[in-house]
Amino acid sequence: MSEPYVSKIDRRTALAWIGVVGAAAAVGAGVVVYGPKMGGKPAVKGYGTDPNLVHPAKAPWPRIMSPDQLQATAHVADFILPASGAAPSASALGVPDFIDEWVSAPYPDQVKDRPIVLDGLKWIEDEANGRYHMGFNALTPERRRLVLSLLAPFPAESPQGRFFKRVRWMTIGAYYTTPAGFKDIGYIGNVARTVDPGPSDEVKAHLDRELKKLGL
Amino acid sequence: MATEPYDVIIVGSGAGGGMSAYHLTRSGLKVLMLEAGRHYDPATETPMFNTNAEAPLRGVGTPDKPFGFYDATVDGGWQVPNEPYTVAPGSQEFTWWRPRMLGGRTNHWGRIALRFGPLDFKPRSRDGLGYDWPITYDDLAPWYDKTEKLIGVSGAAPARGLLNTPDSPPGCLMEAAPPRAFEIFYARAFEAMGMPVIPMHGAVVTGQMEGRNTCLFATPCGRGCAIGANFQSTTVLLPPAMATGNLTIRTDALVYEVELDAAGKAKGVNFVDRKTGAHHSVTAKAVVLAAGSGETARILLNSKSPKFPNGLANTHGMVGRYLMDSVGLSVNAQFPAMEGLPPTNDDGQGTQHTYIPWWGYQKQKELGFPRGYHVEIGGGRRMPSMGLAGLLPEDDQSIGDDLRQKLRNRFGSVIGFDGRGEMIPNDDCYCELDPTVKDKWGVPVLRFHWRWGESETNQAAHMVKTFLAVVDKLGGKPLGSIETDGKKAISKGGEMIHEVGTARMGAAETDSVVNQYGQSWAVANLFVTDGAVLVSSPDKNPTLSILALAWRSSDHLATLAKQGAL
Repeated sequence: MSEPYVSKIDRRTALAWIGVVGAAAAVGAGVVVYGPKMGGKPAVKGYGTDPNLVHPAKAPWPRIMSPDQLQATAHVADFILPASGAAPSASALGVPDFIDEWVSAPYPDQVKDRPIVLDGLKWIEDEANGRYHMGFNALTPERRRLVLSLLAPFPAESPQGRFFKRVRWMTIGAYYTTPAGFKDIGYIGNVARTVDPGPSDEVKAHLDRELKKLGL
Repeated sequence: MATEPYDVIIVGSGAGGGMSAYHLTRSGLKVLMLEAGRHYDPATETPMFNTNAEAPLRGVGTPDKPFGFYDATVDGGWQVPNEPYTVAPGSQEFTWWRPRMLGGRTNHWGRIALRFGPLDFKPRSRDGLGYDWPITYDDLAPWYDKTEKLIGVSGAAPARGLLNTPDSPPGCLMEAAPPRAFEIFYARAFEAMGMPVIPMHGAVVTGQMEGRNTCLFATPCGRGCAIGANFQSTTVLLPPAMATGNLTIRTDALVYEVELDAAGKAKGVNFVDRKTGAHHSVTAKAVVLAAGSGETARILLNSKSPKFPNGLANTHGMVGRYLMDSVGLSVNAQFPAMEGLPPTNDDGQGTQHTYIPWWGYQKQKELGFPRGYHVEIGGGRRMPSMGLAGLLPEDDQSIGDDLRQKLRNRFGSVIGFDGRGEMIPNDDCYCELDPTVKDKWGVPVLRFHWRWGESETNQAAHMVKTFLAVVDKLGGKPLGSIETDGKKAISKGGEMIHEVGTARMGAAETDSVVNQYGQSWAVANLFVTDGAVLVSSPDKNPTLSILALAWRSSDHLATLAKQGAL
């Protein structure tokens, strides 16, 4: 359920960010502003070289997405991974907040992704306005899907293609690193065991079958 | 806790320093250990079962934590705050990994604990290249036995008698956990192609061992181990050393100089407290340098005196020379045959359960490069990380249930092949003091010089060729672009974090810094017990050998102390 997207961050953290995010949020619905101030070289710091690993603090940098951008990101994430059976949607797992955390981060790889994501969100917004004369988030679910389905056919190196590829990469990574994601993909580790019994007979039979096909 | 006057000062607390402290304190000597990093307690600081979702950025590597958020490394990585290093103009790339924590790199190392073999100690006698050690395999073998029994090493197997790949005597090793699905899978191809697959020797307690916890067969060793089931200096060596009452550890103590007395013997060291910036001097009857090959060389080079104007023990210009690293390279591939595998727990024992030792000792001439490599292979249905989408074909655009199904099907179908090979020491690989750049406390930093030789780049090309052939045999498809030119595919100098050999041991003062016991030729009460003493850098990862050599050297030092000969 991506609408309305309710941020999965706690209120205290959110309040701490308001001073920074406020400027972007105040611009209002449907208008995405990101200038040098938001897209340029970050003045904020990372978590440092000696963070607490056992009880990690929330990533300390302020988030740059406006509520509208975060909502649009939720629609995109749920377009990629909607709920399915027992598996929750991407937004239900807080993937949009994670994408905000990612594009807000001060590290080189994430800074590189920032304009890709923000430009893509702007393109989506412009496309909605051009086609339907209203903001993307205000569209019906069908119209939103239509706008989003335009992304994949763009060439891989176009801004739209790069946006789709990167946001999909982020959504998959963020989703499957959660316990719900483990369950969906079939990761059954991260549990203490007294012995490692090795693979089951069923697994070994699969391997034998496949290796035989390969002539091995 | 020991107090002044100390018998021995040990600089560094990793494999070399930890082992030296273990043996010297148990021999009754009063030891002061100086560690540049902060205190570190694996019992309370290890994120054992944390998921990536609990970490900032899902735990991906950043400049603050290059190997990922949960990697045990503290205050370090490829850059250490306030402690730069430089690479000389015209040099090939060199990169230097340092932590700043008690126990050093033993907290996050790969736990691969392979013995060097008989040929590895006499490489020049074998093919005329590199240099022979002043000892043989038989000299070190008893110390390997003792070290394996002390630190806990898995990989016991019926003796294979493979050339230059020593089988440990019965009783030294525990059995490794059984091969996982991907290990069963790849083994069939390697063996069909004439390359043996044998149990990895991993510094992990896989069975019952007195005084130690058994592995939980979960959570990556690189995070460290809260229950001490793998080898870390901080869990295995330092606690028993402390228990003797003979060890004092001072952390945040960055040693920059060894001081000599009027007779030319080492009287102690000078260090700066990283936290306060205050300078201190401490004295002892002997000094052991085990700060890591780079830092050990730096301390020696920075210890200038009228007798040693170019640095301590550097009369013959040997300090900093013959710096080596491992040749490294990796190929990842996806295997349709591994798709749709029923869920299986591949977390394993932390290290690989099996590996491929070098198989071509008798074919080096026809291969076109003189020394070998072993293969470390990773894969399986491990805890998903941020890069999970890499499982999918490059051009895949699926979403929704289609995407979910593809991911489920392909989870665990990617295998990574890593080569680790021997480098022959050469005149172009060394470190020296930078003539101008200094650290925060005004101490000159290291400047590195690096150039791979043809022996290494040809070997790298062979690694790629071999891995591609194996991938093909297994019906796989390599991921990403594959570089087949060895000169381009080879790792950067230092990147394998096996930098060794800056104060090598030898049979004569003119071509080495220390003797076979790590004892400096120039200053009889100055010892080196880290990787700096290595004469060659075989494909086998160096830590086990550093430990065994450190024990042997410390035993010699303790004997001299008992004789009053320090």
